[in-house]
Amino acid sequence: VQPPEKPLQSEEWNKLREDFQSPEIFEEVMLNSMIRCNSPIDVAKSLLTYLAKRNGDIAYNMLVKYLALCVQQGQVSEICDVYDIMKVRFKILESGAYTLLIKGLTNSDQWRMALTLLEELKKITIPSRTCYESCIKAASRHQEMKLAFELYNEMLAKDVVPTLGVLQSFFDFSRGRKGAELQKEIFGILLYLRENQVYPHKTFMRSIKLWFESIPGGNWRGRLTKIKDSGQCPVCNHQLEDSNLTEEEYSNLSERIIKDVIHGTDTFRKTSPQEFEAFQTFVENRPPFDIVIDGLNVSHIKPRKMQCENLFDAVNCLAKENARLLVLGRKHMLVNSSNWKREIMKEMQNKADFFFAENISEDDAFLLYATLRSGKHCKFVTRDFLRDHKACLSDSLTRHLFRKWQLIYHINSKKIYFFSIFFQQPAFHYDCVVQTTGDTWHIPYKDVFEEKYSYQVPRKWLCIHQK
Amino acid sequence: MQSANMLLRKIVRSSVIPFAAQHGMKKDLFLLSRTLSLSLYLKQDKSCEPSEKLDLDAWKKVMKSGLHEEVSETVLEPKELSSLAAARDTLEMWRLAGKLVPENISEEQLKTFMECPSKSAKKKYLKYLYLKELYKKNDKRRMEERRERRLEAQDQASNTDETKKSSFMCLWSRTMDKAYNWRAAQSMIFGQPLVFDMSYEKDMSVREVANTVRQLVLSESCNRRSVDPFHIHFCNFKDDSLYHREFIKYYREAWGKLLITVTDQCYTEIFPKDKLIYLTADSPKVMKTFDHDKIYIVGSMVDKSIKTGVSLARAKRLGLETAALPLEKYLLWSTGAKNLTLDQMMHILLTLKDTADWRKALEFVPKRKYCGFVNTPVKELKKTLDLINTLKRGKRQEEEEKQFTKNYHKK
Repeated sequence: VQPPEKPLQSEEWNKLREDFQSPEIFEEVMLNSMIRCNSPIDVAKSLLTYLAKRNGDIAYNMLVKYLALCVQQGQVSEICDVYDIMKVRFKILESGAYTLLIKGLTNSDQWRMALTLLEELKKITIPSRTCYESCIKAASRHQEMKLAFELYNEMLAKDVVPTLGVLQSFFDFSRGRKGAELQKEIFGILLYLRENQVYPHKTFMRSIKLWFESIPGGNWRGRLTKIKDSGQCPVCNHQLEDSNLTEEEYSNLSERIIKDVIHGTDTFRKTSPQEFEAFQTFVENRPPFDIVIDGLNVSHIKPRKMQCENLFDAVNCLAKENARLLVLGRKHMLVNSSNWKREIMKEMQNKADFFFAENISEDDAFLLYATLRSGKHCKFVTRDFLRDHKACLSDSLTRHLFRKWQLIYHINSKKIYFFSIFFQQPAFHYDCVVQTTGDTWHIPYKDVFEEKYSYQVPRKWLCIHQK
Repeated sequence: MQSANMLLRKIVRSSVIPFAAQHGMKKDLFLLSRTLSLSLYLKQDKSCEPSEKLDLDAWKKVMKSGLHEEVSETVLEPKELSSLAAARDTLEMWRLAGKLVPENISEEQLKTFMECPSKSAKKKYLKYLYLKELYKKNDKRRMEERRERRLEAQDQASNTDETKKSSFMCLWSRTMDKAYNWRAAQSMIFGQPLVFDMSYEKDMSVREVANTVRQLVLSESCNRRSVDPFHIHFCNFKDDSLYHREFIKYYREAWGKLLITVTDQCYTEIFPKDKLIYLTADSPKVMKTFDHDKIYIVGSMVDKSIKTGVSLARAKRLGLETAALPLEKYLLWSTGAKNLTLDQMMHILLTLKDTADWRKALEFVPKRKYCGFVNTPVKELKKTLDLINTLKRGKRQEEEEKQFTKNYHKK
């Protein structure tokens, strides 16, 4: 339905309603389309007047819809009026109305009223992150930084994830302001970015840069740069943090993987205790490996080639570097078939160690175990992102460790030509997170328009140092 | 014409300004333009208001006027401070806001609602209750309609007043029940056992257990009605488990009289291991024929979150043979998981037992999950597939292969 352009009389509304195919929901549909077309508020008012005259009452959802229209157009006095009506008419409100009210009021001089509404909303539920966002933005816009940070900390305490907009507003509105307390809070935000692997986007990065440069007497300077592969910053020659896991993190991770991924709720789901034990003794009895290959995955790299040929190429290529190889596979690879030639398999077994799991076992779990067991230098070759195994890990901290470890230890195999089959994607030697040494900050950021997958890390950095 | 008008207007406007500037009549021009705009505004306003003035805020007065009595009422009400009442209030507001919330909600449901760990869990639970209520209402309405129709029909029948002549008394349902029970009793002595493994309680949520029991009730009833029923065993069945409580909800006092075997023993303790076959969709082995000497085990589990390999793990642990239905072989699968509901399994197994006809049996797979039956045997399909592949590969590929083997032998 097309909403009318001018306010209508009751008779006219009546006529429109009767022409509508299902008159019961006419008002609802009409208000919805008014919101969509951003119709003048007077038109909506005339509809409400018509409704009130007909029924002597206006339903709650209609009021909320009208409120949405008012918020959309920033009609503050109307918002207050609707709130007054709702407050007297209903014992409590639901979160949708509160969210709209907060959003509408925070953009006006009445923003303090939004804070009381937030308090009311807290009584019924945990406010959404957009509610907090509007309140925090309003507070910092009016230079009430202390209040804004209070709200922010409250939000974190309730496990509500702040939007990037909230974080950015802190940098924007405390620009050029002095105060040790404020600086501490802002550094706290940067640490939040670090701990949660949040990468700011370009405009956010600019806010950070401007904030640093605006600190009175701070002498900070920010430069955009790209970090060298060695992990050195070309601007300040600072060496970035090493990406290797610490001993503790490493042992923690391998423990969790054995517990959550391999055993899980039932060892029989992925393997069997006997098989796992056999594999453990197999790994233990051999010196540590350098590269662990997911045999079945690698064998499918070129679909037109015989599977054992693919594997053969891979093993040959990697064996040249005099590395100790372990190939994981399944028992069916040993059976002579059109894809798996016995002679080639035998030839390969001279060059690498092989372990064949049962056909119904999952070899990925073994891959993880063998790599972790062999030590930090060991890498694995697979095209699999192992997402399902990551999902088995019970807490987000270990999941993050896994991801970090996986980024380092994942060698992606890509073919370039027919002859040179594999090349090693240079694994990062530095950790891609927000980091500081006190007098320098290095902040990775992403371009807004650049599409970034969760497994990729940004390559652009903001280097901030003191002159 | 319009564009020409516009042009004219523009020319006039642009000519006025320099003219005014020349004569130093800025003030006048300002006045002029203001009056002009005012008149325009007035015009618009007039066109906007049809005939009489519209009181746009009339609705506010109405809303506020009807309030005073109600306000006094709410004040008089004793203040309910309990969290349950508060939850009830929020639910009511959600309903008013047009969310999917049931009209009536029991105390127990309200408690489960409040125990939901997240906002989305709450929403989901409410939607479930809402739909449940809706279905119930619709059923009730349909029942009433049917009753009315029946009454009408009776009226008509009494009008014609025809006496029926029949050699049987009208005792269908009771006699049928007796016949069914007789058969079921017979199956308990001579019938082929069919085991339902009831050890999945901790792998399921409360709602999944309830669904499982519902499916089991359905499969038990269709087994009882069949020509040659299975002897159903519920193994690993713990008394006073969630399963047990749900069963009692369905069967009430009939639970004790069911012609099935319920035991807390494992199937491996009752039957020889080499006769057991665990049916699971994850099994690498595909069932070829229905074996009348074997004892099939079906896991009593509904897994909405698709926990792969749970039942396979169980079979592996006990060292049992496993099998999956040959769904791929007979059906062109389109969507959905390969795990079927327990009553569908029951229908399929019963049909297989009676007819050994896979096609007939697999009719019970939901139609939405497959496009149709595979007409040509799979072997032939594979042959043609291979042929296409070799054609695709072309001769060059073959040559490459030959070269590779040559090179390989050289090394």
